[in-house]
Amino acid sequence: MRFHPNEDQATFLSALEQMMEGKNAAWRTSPVWNRFDWSSDFDGELEQSEFLNCAAEETLGPVTATAMIYRLASLPIAVECAASSLLRPQFAPSLPRPLAVVESDAKHAIRFLPVARSALFIGRSQVRACILDEGGATAVESLFAYPMGVLTRKPDWQRVDADPEMVRDRWRVAIAAELAGALKGGLDAVVAHVRERHQFGRPLGSFQAIQHRLAVAAAKVEGGYWLALKAAQNLDRADAATALGYMQEASTKVVYDLHQFMGAMGLTLEHPLHRWTYRARLLRSSLGGAAENLRAVATKKRWRAA
Amino acid sequence: MDFDWTEEDRAYRAKIRAFLKRELPSGWAEISRHGPGSRAQTEFSLEFCPKLAEAGLLVPHWPAEWGGADRPTWEHFILGEEMWAAGEPRGAQYMNVNWIGPTLMRFGTDEQKRCHIPQMAEGKAIWCQGFSEPNAGSDLASISTKAERDGDEYVINGTKIWTSYAATAQHCFLLARTASGAQGKAGIAIFLVPMSSPGIEVRSIPSLIGHGDIHETFFTDVRVPVSARLGEEGEAWSIISYSLANERVGIPRYELAGRVLGGMVTELTARGEFEDSAVQVRAGSALAACEAARMLVYRVVDKRARGESIGAEASMARVAVVEADHAVTDFGLDFLPDTLSGGDYPAHLAHHERAIVTGIAAGAAEVQLGLIARHWLDLPREAS
Repeated sequence: MRFHPNEDQATFLSALEQMMEGKNAAWRTSPVWNRFDWSSDFDGELEQSEFLNCAAEETLGPVTATAMIYRLASLPIAVECAASSLLRPQFAPSLPRPLAVVESDAKHAIRFLPVARSALFIGRSQVRACILDEGGATAVESLFAYPMGVLTRKPDWQRVDADPEMVRDRWRVAIAAELAGALKGGLDAVVAHVRERHQFGRPLGSFQAIQHRLAVAAAKVEGGYWLALKAAQNLDRADAATALGYMQEASTKVVYDLHQFMGAMGLTLEHPLHRWTYRARLLRSSLGGAAENLRAVATKKRWRAA
Repeated sequence: MDFDWTEEDRAYRAKIRAFLKRELPSGWAEISRHGPGSRAQTEFSLEFCPKLAEAGLLVPHWPAEWGGADRPTWEHFILGEEMWAAGEPRGAQYMNVNWIGPTLMRFGTDEQKRCHIPQMAEGKAIWCQGFSEPNAGSDLASISTKAERDGDEYVINGTKIWTSYAATAQHCFLLARTASGAQGKAGIAIFLVPMSSPGIEVRSIPSLIGHGDIHETFFTDVRVPVSARLGEEGEAWSIISYSLANERVGIPRYELAGRVLGGMVTELTARGEFEDSAVQVRAGSALAACEAARMLVYRVVDKRARGESIGAEASMARVAVVEADHAVTDFGLDFLPDTLSGGDYPAHLAHHERAIVTGIAAGAAEVQLGLIARHWLDLPREAS
């Protein structure tokens, strides 16, 4: 049992954090009232860096990929990392990225489709992949802070030789880390705000009512993060569902509190809070949502009597 | 990062389970019925802990010099999980093992170490903790029990309350204010007080957490030699901060909660009631709460194992443990309420009884939330 990174992991994560401080990853207001900020520059920079292939490296592996997903999700800009770092290296290394994931029903709006160059379909009995040609997907207007889209025509799906349950397990871990990271990004922004913002003659963050709720949020985010990392190591079915179900269930209250403490500022597109909270809202419904994933915990777990 | 147990860890856990299976008597359910603080269980610990000591399973993480085997922190923690989940057959003695012994080793005089530590390592010492007072609970720094210097002695006067194990303890790890000291945290010292001293009176307080668990303890002109003081006058706060950083994650409650939840699911399955998806969702949610608590506690143990100082991580773990305990209690109340009365499901009953204390023992969970706000989120202090 070791919670600290090995030497390679530490070097990797510190290089990643350095890259996250660059100008391509910085917050900027969108001039056109966009609810998301797809950063093709930073996405490209990540792809070039080979960071997204870390899961395939022996000394890094899926645990490091999961830690990376968490960190990148805390940025105000959006990049496609979860599928490219936890699914692509293992199941479809030759697919061009960005990679959109179609969970089961391709008729719904799907995140990243408008910017994706390929898609992976995780069905009940099959996993399929396709290259997205020009015009293969159309953008859809959405409240969710990702580029959202639908397929415009039936793609040329090719069967991928992979067990859909195993793909789903990895996807659960990826989403759990991404959701925890998005909430962490929002939490950090709100904590910075309540430290600075004075009302009633004192910083908002000095009120116990606010402190306690943010402290609970911090414990939830940390709990979800470590559950995701643990699940990434063995990719155990119950562990993966535990991490995702836990974070999805916790997310509603965390999102509510973050918006409460940001007040009207958090209702504007000029403040980045919505970038995290409206990603969290979409990720809450991933893979069937909290109830379905918690039910999966119960049915996959090997229960033992006391 | 590596979240698996080593082969050695697994073998160690198996060894403890085998020991428990062999050594816990057939009447254990009855003995442990009223919890670790009951007289029956404390008396049992005086037979059981010497056997643990004999097998090298009482204080394995202590230095060899004091009866231990210099075993790793993680083994100590595995031991704690297995003991708590078995109903804590060490009774009050878990405190000696976890923090009273280590605190004496670090801050005690040679005489204090020689006097107290060997008995703890043999499994024959019962201690209680004289911290809370009628007017000083969460605000522990406001205690008013006095220890006045009189020549080579201190004279102690005051009242401690909610003291676990006081009726059977041989010694009390007591906080008292020395007359010459300043107010608040600075004026407090620790005394190692024999409970047989004239002037100590113990009254049992009927409680929700087992027969004879908590007490009111009165000190009237109790005289102890200066040599019974641990550390200097005014040093108590820094000493107990060190001790309690470990204690906040001292009891691995999620381990019992998780096992009880497993028992509840097994029972519901046998009744044909686990097919209901509403039940499954709630079981998954309660299990996730237990596992999140486990990870946050393990992170603290990992830091301790590496000799790093522990900050708000321990408070976060504590908050998650409280939530886990209550999630399992609620699961039982919603789906197996019939098992929470009568004597047919002792594990369910034990968990239900003990969960009420999770957010209170070792300091209110709300105090922990304040510590997270200040030390993890770096939020400004509350205005006074």
